Amino acid sequence: MPKKLISALLLICLLCAPLCSLADGTLNVFNYGEYIDDEVIYNFEKEFGVRVNYSLNSNPEEMYTKLQTGVSYDVVVTSDYMIDRLIKEERILPLDKEIVTNLDQLDDSMKGLYFDPDNTYSAPYLWQNVVLCYDTTKIAPAKVEEKGWEILLDPELDGHAFIYDSPRDVFMMAFKALGYSMNTDNPDELQEAYDWLVKMKQTIHPSFVTDEMIDGMAQGEKWIAMMYSGDAAYASMENEKLAVWAPTQGTNIAIDCMFIPSNATNPEMANQFINYVLDYDNSMMITLETCYTSPNAKVLEDVTAPGGEFDGVEGYLPRMGYEKDEIYQYVKLLQAETPELLIKVQMQ
Amino acid sequence: MGNVSTNRLAGISMVQNSELETTKKKRPADNSGEPMQKKPAKHLTRIFSSSYLILILLFVYLPIVYLVLFSFNSGKSPSSFDGFSMRWYEALFRDRTMLESIYVTLIVAVISTVVSTVVGTVAAIGLSKAKRLIRTVVLEVNNLPVLNPDIVTAIGLMLLFMSIKIQPGMLTLILSHISFCIPFVILSVMPKLRQLDDNVAEAALDLGATPFKALTRVIIPQIAPAILTGALLAFSMSLDDFVVSYFNAGPGTNTISMYVESMKRYNLSVNAMATLFVVVVALILLLANLVPIIKDKKAQKEEPKNA
Repeated sequence: MPKKLISALLLICLLCAPLCSLADGTLNVFNYGEYIDDEVIYNFEKEFGVRVNYSLNSNPEEMYTKLQTGVSYDVVVTSDYMIDRLIKEERILPLDKEIVTNLDQLDDSMKGLYFDPDNTYSAPYLWQNVVLCYDTTKIAPAKVEEKGWEILLDPELDGHAFIYDSPRDVFMMAFKALGYSMNTDNPDELQEAYDWLVKMKQTIHPSFVTDEMIDGMAQGEKWIAMMYSGDAAYASMENEKLAVWAPTQGTNIAIDCMFIPSNATNPEMANQFINYVLDYDNSMMITLETCYTSPNAKVLEDVTAPGGEFDGVEGYLPRMGYEKDEIYQYVKLLQAETPELLIKVQMQ
Repeated sequence: MGNVSTNRLAGISMVQNSELETTKKKRPADNSGEPMQKKPAKHLTRIFSSSYLILILLFVYLPIVYLVLFSFNSGKSPSSFDGFSMRWYEALFRDRTMLESIYVTLIVAVISTVVSTVVGTVAAIGLSKAKRLIRTVVLEVNNLPVLNPDIVTAIGLMLLFMSIKIQPGMLTLILSHISFCIPFVILSVMPKLRQLDDNVAEAALDLGATPFKALTRVIIPQIAPAILTGALLAFSMSLDDFVVSYFNAGPGTNTISMYVESMKRYNLSVNAMATLFVVVVALILLLANLVPIIKDKKAQKEEPKNA
């Protein structure tokens, strides 16, 4: 009996051995699920002789919690407003510009974002905006284009809409519909936005979901969805009936960026990784795999050029340089209040 | 101690006696109360009960059948079947993140099952011999993590690891799984221990067995089924846990539940993976049931020769 026990323990140790031996020469990357082409990781490993520990995340708030627990990641991809917050909290290491030379391949609109004017701390990874994706056989395009976000107050859509279950995005929609800035810190405007959302909830009874809507729209489960343009591009490539529209009241330009947390264990390799991802070939592979917009100027040009992969795909290229579109900022009031208010909306 | 155990034994035997009496009383009534006219009614209830059973089985197994079927879909959709293909299995074996998360899940499940089964069994045996007060207190404490929502356990453990500055990773993942598996092992082993006859272990000691031998040769074989139940429970608890894993995993230690949670689009490789799990479980069940039968047959064949 003891012999068997010992052999069992030995077997377990053997099984664990590969995991333990990974400890040196590793790079811990924390990214959203299905947000990269695996080939990029494999090629990076081969080229730099490190092992990439790839961990998955589903939203910026979860990422923030994870960082707070003291987990040490080397490269993290997350959304703009969260980076704004992390820079203010001094939890980010500056990029090593000697290594990260591919920053000059970025499209001009992606350089020097409001929270990081010189790209000292972060490098754009992918970007998109929030759009309406709708079934042209059920809703007339002219109507959507005329009404924009207001179409979600149309009783005809009762039971036929998906809304993204994300507090900031939902409130962005209400602020824009009311003509306010989505980065407002005015409690009265927040109250108005809340009332708008309650009205919407009671009129069309939408399903508040997250990523399920991508397959849902591709399969024609609902008529209209408020979704990220990359997801809308994917869904519209799957389902020809779908069209994509960025409302003229303005929308959110969301830019996901890479950064190196201040407790990273391998910052040099992290800089290498960021530089590697920014490069044309890898940026191309990532955008082709995810359908999200690349920040690399040349890639953007090539995939949307006639004959390119995303030639004529609505939603792939977000509207650029429109004055009513904004980027999220870290606004304490909204960060604190919107999650609870959204739950209250959902319970109406 | 002696008093308590004999009282308990007496209690058990009384229960058994009363059960026997009731069954004895019932039997003649049953036999006499079965006239010919009642047969059609009985027939009906049998049809009803078997169709009810079939409905329940369908309810349990149809989703699994559906899942297995769509793992062979040649299209991307989880709801419309386009044709047969193995592409999702190929995709599964090419997706390193997914393979690694399966690997991590299994390693964590195996280690935490082994550890929590050993610790839980030893704890249960110890508790069964402990003073009444200690036993009740420890068992109440043991019930807490079972009744506690997962999220409380998860965040509690996370805060604990943070405060003692352990980097989240494989170690914290395994420790947290062990911590929520042990109570279940204790809960499944305790009742079996209560049924044991203390005299058997004492007899073994009287006959010259060392306490360790008495434990391994006498007590453990008797409670083996309960230990197995506990181990299986622990294994499946660990395998499908999400919340505790999520808060206590570090870089590179995704479990399969975390992988599925972070998916943006539904990926039929998940069906392929689930199908493989179903096949493995079915094979194990088949072997577990066939091996004893084959052994029996062999033994039967050998017996006449020996005689």
